[in-house]
Amino acid sequence: MAEYLDRSSDIGKLVAMPDDDMIICRCEEITKGEIRKAIHDGMWTMTEIKRYTRAGMGLCQGQTCSRIIKGMIAKELGVLPLSIDDNTARVPVRPVEVRVYGKGIN
Amino acid sequence: MIRYDVIVIGAGPAGLSASIEAAEAGMKVAVFDENTRPGGQLFKQIHKFFGAKEHKAKIRGFRIGEELLAEAEKLQVDVHLNAAVIGIHDFNSIAVVENEQVSFYKAGNLIIATGASENMVPFDGWTLPGVIGAGAAQTMMNLHGVLPGKKVLMVGSGNVGLVVGYQLLQAGVEIAAIIDAAPKIGGYGVHASKVARTGVPFLLSHTILKAEGEEFVTGAAVVEVDSKFQPIKGTEKHFDVDTICMAVGLSPMSQLLRIAGCEMKEMGGLVPACNEYGETSISGIFAAGDVAGIEEASSAMVGGRIAGAASALRDGFIMQGDFEEKYKALKESLNQLRQGMFCKENRGKTDMTATEEGIPLSNSLLEKGYLLEKEIIKFPGVKKKAGVHPIIECTQNIPCNPCQTACKFNCISIGENITALPVVIEDSKCTNCGMCVASCSGQAIFLLNEDSEDGFVSITLPYEFLPYPKKGVKGIALDRSGNRVCEAEIIGLRTAEAFDHTALLTMKVPSEFAMSARFFTL
Repeated sequence: MAEYLDRSSDIGKLVAMPDDDMIICRCEEITKGEIRKAIHDGMWTMTEIKRYTRAGMGLCQGQTCSRIIKGMIAKELGVLPLSIDDNTARVPVRPVEVRVYGKGIN
Repeated sequence: MIRYDVIVIGAGPAGLSASIEAAEAGMKVAVFDENTRPGGQLFKQIHKFFGAKEHKAKIRGFRIGEELLAEAEKLQVDVHLNAAVIGIHDFNSIAVVENEQVSFYKAGNLIIATGASENMVPFDGWTLPGVIGAGAAQTMMNLHGVLPGKKVLMVGSGNVGLVVGYQLLQAGVEIAAIIDAAPKIGGYGVHASKVARTGVPFLLSHTILKAEGEEFVTGAAVVEVDSKFQPIKGTEKHFDVDTICMAVGLSPMSQLLRIAGCEMKEMGGLVPACNEYGETSISGIFAAGDVAGIEEASSAMVGGRIAGAASALRDGFIMQGDFEEKYKALKESLNQLRQGMFCKENRGKTDMTATEEGIPLSNSLLEKGYLLEKEIIKFPGVKKKAGVHPIIECTQNIPCNPCQTACKFNCISIGENITALPVVIEDSKCTNCGMCVASCSGQAIFLLNEDSEDGFVSITLPYEFLPYPKKGVKGIALDRSGNRVCEAEIIGLRTAEAFDHTALLTMKVPSEFAMSARFFTL
């Protein structure tokens, strides 16, 4: 677990921003405001943001938004993006239709 | 379950090279790729590559792809296409979705060469249709023959932005501008120059504010930024464009390595910690190409070969001594590519002011994409001579030397150091053959005939736009910034197989424009 995670630290109040309605995760249509709110609700890791908002759980599996979300967490917490761990990489790394799985393994 | 000696994931330049090297050693090799066509990004690269002969310099990327594929097929490498690898299990077996079915394959060695994906930056309107990655634009144009738009704003001045920008121009797309938040152009000066001389403006220290439009992109707003990348109020500019192309970097696609449990490190995204042979912290799992750290296709090919050879050594297909010999040559080839002003150590450096030769770098080139006439005459590729002679406007230390061997008459010298600037030899005799002009991947060589006619000179320039202007046609000569300088008449057009689709256009201009006219337009 990354060292920045002193859960008792105060990151200040959530202040509304003019671009809060901008979509960040386009697969799941999660906005900047929703992700910022999640951070202020205490979701300080990539994994927590993902589970709390579904950002990064869509078709591209966070290929596009992960980097952007990492930057947003870093900004809200006042730390370097480098100090924030990536999401856990999981199988399948590409979207697979359930009917394909339904056929069993060759 | 089918077994191989080595499984390569990704059929791009690194993966194909790795599979060739392993198959040559006698290994049973399979390559898996999720795409319909092999070659990774190579088949989108219609430009000539940089480097030395062993790096396949001056060959166009898609031809390199064809060569690699033919070699792999000859060596009976099993190339599985439309085959997405979705996971790695039990260290050495992979799960693949092929023909709507999950299959497992096993191998003693895995070489992961999955490449990279394009970065995005969010801004107002970035999800509108018409905002696309530069790689997507390339796929549309060069694979599918579809124009991405009519007028484009390119965001990012690295080599990807510059190369794709040039290809858009070749396809007949207008480029409103190339912008970059950095204060200096990120890619090669020669790439920037060939775009600038067509009249494309560069706006450095500018960022995109907004993609305008309701249903799709109808315009773009940009703004100047200060040294801390903060927008400067009142500097907003608007462009009427239907497409915004994003060339803002790449991230390694390293999920499979992370799933396998390889030790990772941060290098512009997570990359595996590898030894000098590309082997990860897990014995038998190798990484090569962009997934092991973003570079370019030439070094990816060498990295792939090293990993392929190392896997062959690991399983006893080649002897230690043979491997060491091979590795030494490959390492030397890799070192050559990793030299010069754009090498990893110099990336992001802002205090470079002179070339290795001590010649001051052109700020105009770094900020506007073109050299000034008073700067160009200081370089060793530019000499004033009687008769016809090459003018080499190559002013940065990059690993590239095809011009040296292109001239059979020893007019051009680079020497042993591949990043040295090309020198036009003082007492050499140019035969006007044009091989240097066509061989320069940066399109930076021109032939100047200073005594062609009274009061006129002829300038031969590399030209890669269709249709070619016909002999006898009169048009306008443009300078390095794309500004009109004078009337020009086309007095020659040469297309030879050896020029590989770089036409040599010769135009006649008044002699006072000998050192300024560098492009032609109707």
